Amino acid sequence: MVVRKMNRQAKKEEMERIFYPRRLAIVGVSTDGGGRGFGIGMLTGLQAMRYVGEIFPVNPKGGSYAGLNFYKKVEDIPGQIDFAIIAVAAKDVPEALEACRKKGAAGAEILSAGFSELATKEGRELEHEISEIAGRGIRVVGPNCFGIYCPRSGLTLLPGPDLSRISGPVAFLSQSGGMAIDLAHKGKWMGLNFSKVISFGNGADLREVQLLDYLAEDDETGVIGMYMEGIKDGDAFFDAIKKATRKKPVVVCKGGLSAAGQRMVVSHTASMGGSRVIWESVLRQVNAVQVQNLQELAEACLAFCFLPRRVYRRLSIVGGGGALGVTACDAAENFGMEIPALAPVVRKSVEELLPKPGSSGANPIDVANPFVEPKILQKVLRAAAQDDRIDLQIIVSLLYHYKTMARMLGKPIAQVAPYRELAELLGGVVRETGKPIMVVLANPKRGVDDLDIAEMLALARAELIKNGLAVFDDLHEAIRAISHVNTYYEKRIKNES
Amino acid sequence: MNHNSVAKIIKSALDEKRSCLSEYEAKLLLAIYGLPVTREVLVNNADELKGAARQIGYPLAIKGCSSEIAHKTEQGLIHLGIQSEGEALAAFEEIKKKLAQGRGAVLVQEMVRGSRELVMGMTRDEQFGPCVMFGLGGIFTEILRDVSFRKAPLNESDVREMMREIRGNKIIDAFRGMAAADTKTLAQMLIGLGRIGLEFQEVKEIDLNPVIIAAEKPVVVDALIVLG
Repeated sequence: MVVRKMNRQAKKEEMERIFYPRRLAIVGVSTDGGGRGFGIGMLTGLQAMRYVGEIFPVNPKGGSYAGLNFYKKVEDIPGQIDFAIIAVAAKDVPEALEACRKKGAAGAEILSAGFSELATKEGRELEHEISEIAGRGIRVVGPNCFGIYCPRSGLTLLPGPDLSRISGPVAFLSQSGGMAIDLAHKGKWMGLNFSKVISFGNGADLREVQLLDYLAEDDETGVIGMYMEGIKDGDAFFDAIKKATRKKPVVVCKGGLSAAGQRMVVSHTASMGGSRVIWESVLRQVNAVQVQNLQELAEACLAFCFLPRRVYRRLSIVGGGGALGVTACDAAENFGMEIPALAPVVRKSVEELLPKPGSSGANPIDVANPFVEPKILQKVLRAAAQDDRIDLQIIVSLLYHYKTMARMLGKPIAQVAPYRELAELLGGVVRETGKPIMVVLANPKRGVDDLDIAEMLALARAELIKNGLAVFDDLHEAIRAISHVNTYYEKRIKNES
Repeated sequence: MNHNSVAKIIKSALDEKRSCLSEYEAKLLLAIYGLPVTREVLVNNADELKGAARQIGYPLAIKGCSSEIAHKTEQGLIHLGIQSEGEALAAFEEIKKKLAQGRGAVLVQEMVRGSRELVMGMTRDEQFGPCVMFGLGGIFTEILRDVSFRKAPLNESDVREMMREIRGNKIIDAFRGMAAADTKTLAQMLIGLGRIGLEFQEVKEIDLNPVIIAAEKPVVVDALIVLG
């Protein structure tokens, strides 16, 4: 019998003190080196984010910065602390962590590198020491990580002085700090709002299993994203993620599948069951949503946030050009959806609204002219929603064409393109019809000549998001994101019945 | 279920420092877990062969049976569709000759008829422990690699899903006049493989190929159990 050494389960109260700390120490704040250090980076980051609690910077040499006096030792901080950010050299981390534990901290994030990731004896021993201190009563995020981002409290990742302070339903767990900060930045313009983002690095204490357990129960979290390379305990992970997906979707990007080591095997079964195949099977078994990269993860999370919980089978698509119809149907079929012809009476009312000739009220609906007014598009989508078979509508917006009109009128494109009106009217159609609308902001003009289009589309995106619409760059990606929602709810509904 | 008899089969192989069970031993083990296997008798001489042939009835499959041979087809140790005592004796002699260098007896087996071949198996993943496989069998296993896996223990819905997950999932449906395969038995077989993996750490890999659908009933026709 193999005795597994399990990391301790996380208690809700201690986790709340970690994510929403009122008194926070930063150990290892140095003004030397022009502010390039992790500690000073965090201090300025937290201040820029308007972190809500009190900050206690620690530096053995003392000093001050940005209106805060440095304490020489953790012990000198008056009273208790809730959480600590540790950014000292690896060899000094155990002592700092122990001091924070004695100060009553519920947890600490260790940004410092120089542990098991070095694959040296010293590195592994230092990390083991951290795990042991953690076992005595302080939860550890890291080492070798970018820390925690929590919009509600203002905790931020390294280096993240400009992340959003708007809370939302998306949680993200990542072994990689780079992925964590990338998604946090991506979310800001894509319309993903976060409950918590945790970069856990080497995961000496808190890692996938404990964090999944916590986030599954966390009322602020509605969808969990994960990026991971390896896991510590397959059975515990299996149980934790299975439990989590019963409550909320878990979107997983598993890295390092291609580096599967070659094993000496005799049977066919073993040679077929490489690491990739087994991972994919296990994730399917627990009803996790599998994605190939961070972009797809963000898109899947976006769909989960914007779409009511159900399965979407039949779509209507509004756009321009005949080829759109073909590619849309192909994409839908690939992902198990269809774009059915609209009911004759619906088609007739749609066609009455559209400019002639060249338009079509079949599904996909071809508006034929990129300058069809938002008011007309509103009516078209409203009419198409009357077809009972349609579950969801996608509009491929042709706003970029307004550059031609802008040139003609001698005005900036952002003034000419009617994105505000479009966003408001489409938002209204969703509320009215109860059928979600996704917007694809197509832009084939991305060169330096067309920076004004990129700017206008960024403004349009923000406006659309404000009106409750999910925005994608590409039709195929939008449909793929819907298919992730479908796969998840299909199995969840089946399991619950 | 007789846990002890399974332990005994495994122990005797390990005591002899073998890394595989013979096909005969493997099927004994599988049968204890309720998997349907071919009717078969192990024989050492021509008299036993004749007796076995009468008992099982023609046509027969006659195979070399040794724990040292994993892939028998390549080595000419399988004779299928034996219709008479004369053919049976000839096959027996030929296999005996090939086995002469090593240990092993000859296995006389019912010839299972069915045009649908499946593969089932169990492998141990470093992270997830015993995982059960289902897929297209026979020569298609390696050509198409159309298989699905689930981590043990498997429940009913895991098994239903993994059978539907392969591209060739129609193979278990009613097709061209053939009845639909008995999915209830298939499900029990897959669940059983997961249990073997969980209950016997010594079993490293299992490979059942082919599992033939005879009329609608699945039967394990060849089996490899790797220890380690």
